[in-house]
Amino acid sequence: MTEYDVTDDVAAIVEDTELPRRLKDEVYRTIEDRGGVTAEEADEIARAVENRYVETRVDPLDPVGTVSAQSIGEPGTQMTMNTFHYAGVAEIDVTQGLPRLIELVDARKEPDTPMMTIHLEEEYATDREKAHEVVWKIEATKILALGDVSTNVADMRVQVNLNPDTLDERMIEPEAVAEAIEAELGVETVQRGTVVEFGPEQPSYRDLLQLVEELRDIVFKGIEDVTRVVIRKEETERGEEFVLYTEGSALGNVLGIEGVDGSRTTTNNIHEIYRQLGVEAARESIINETMETLETQGLDDVNVRHLMLVADIMTNDGTIQSIGRHGISGAKESVLARAAYEVTVNHLLDAAIHGEVDDLNGVIENVIVGKPIKLGTGDVDLKIGSFSETAAKPSDD
Amino acid sequence: MVDVSQHKLVPEHSVVDEDVLEGILDEYDIKRTDLPKIKRGDPALPDDADTGDVITVVRDSRTTDRAVAYRLVVD
Repeated sequence: MTEYDVTDDVAAIVEDTELPRRLKDEVYRTIEDRGGVTAEEADEIARAVENRYVETRVDPLDPVGTVSAQSIGEPGTQMTMNTFHYAGVAEIDVTQGLPRLIELVDARKEPDTPMMTIHLEEEYATDREKAHEVVWKIEATKILALGDVSTNVADMRVQVNLNPDTLDERMIEPEAVAEAIEAELGVETVQRGTVVEFGPEQPSYRDLLQLVEELRDIVFKGIEDVTRVVIRKEETERGEEFVLYTEGSALGNVLGIEGVDGSRTTTNNIHEIYRQLGVEAARESIINETMETLETQGLDDVNVRHLMLVADIMTNDGTIQSIGRHGISGAKESVLARAAYEVTVNHLLDAAIHGEVDDLNGVIENVIVGKPIKLGTGDVDLKIGSFSETAAKPSDD
Repeated sequence: MVDVSQHKLVPEHSVVDEDVLEGILDEYDIKRTDLPKIKRGDPALPDDADTGDVITVVRDSRTTDRAVAYRLVVD
């Protein structure tokens, strides 16, 4: 039944406890290591572990949210305020520290430094040539990467001298470049070999410069939002393979590209994860990103349960809500609880105009009015009295 | 399109049978609207899930081996 070398009696005893799998396995491992543990001794060990486990569980009515807030907040005060940028993996600039943490709990639509980690399918991941093929499909290729642009003011023409080697490497035909220019700028082009020429319809110096300006923004190949791709050889769970890191993020586009492993590719933009992979993946991603942010700051002793609670609350309604007055706190039912958080006067004024009623069910509003809160011992009523043995036993209520 | 359920960030989603759900709601003493929600258009939702259904999510938990969570499908 178990993969551990223990007797059936011992296994039955351990399986009978309330312990989660991981702790059961550890008990088995310990018993196995000791060797010659009798069933009675095993029972004693299992009981001791179970007692300790049950003791450490959260009690009913424990204010877990408050504990989480303090447990994340206190280490947060030790974070450097201005570690705005820090060269993360593969020389790509990634926001770290407090700004990143704030960005995550605020659920910003777009992170300050969006980036993707792209894993490749097996045949692409081990072959540098093939990996590069994928890079060119992802990295936005603009005209300056392909050749030189010169303006001939006398003839009112723009001339693009494409570099044949670069075209070859990125697998772009000169004809494709000319077509893209025609489609994007709405001009007639003349293409001879690797030279593409075009100009404004009417001779105008302003239009000519305008065309050059627009030409620089055309994306000839790749994804517009991805400005840079770094390729790195890394040791992963599948052995040594090439992994791509990008500046800029467009998960939806990347997942469809041939050669990209759609099961391991991720982004640091939680909203993109939400759109492409759903709310549960977004929850996972929030936990991963916040934990990683704390870890890189040396605050890895923050228990992951606190971050899981944050992620649970943020994704509770099926979308990503921010922590704060535009999200969770702003959606609170109680007027006083909302007013206690931020922009007090506005909340009170709006509540007065709409004739809102506060039922004083929550914690904050009861602290404000000075009543006991419904948490911990504040939620139970104790009555001292006596009852005769013949009378009915007190009910569960 | 890509099969979303294959992604390592996406846990297993499946629809809960009505009679099983009854027991779960009784156990926690809650109404189905008290459950966390998931949008009808969520990419990870199984095809046979409809608004008002409850889905179960089996997560690879960080603190225990597997954690089971429930979400109510809403519009």
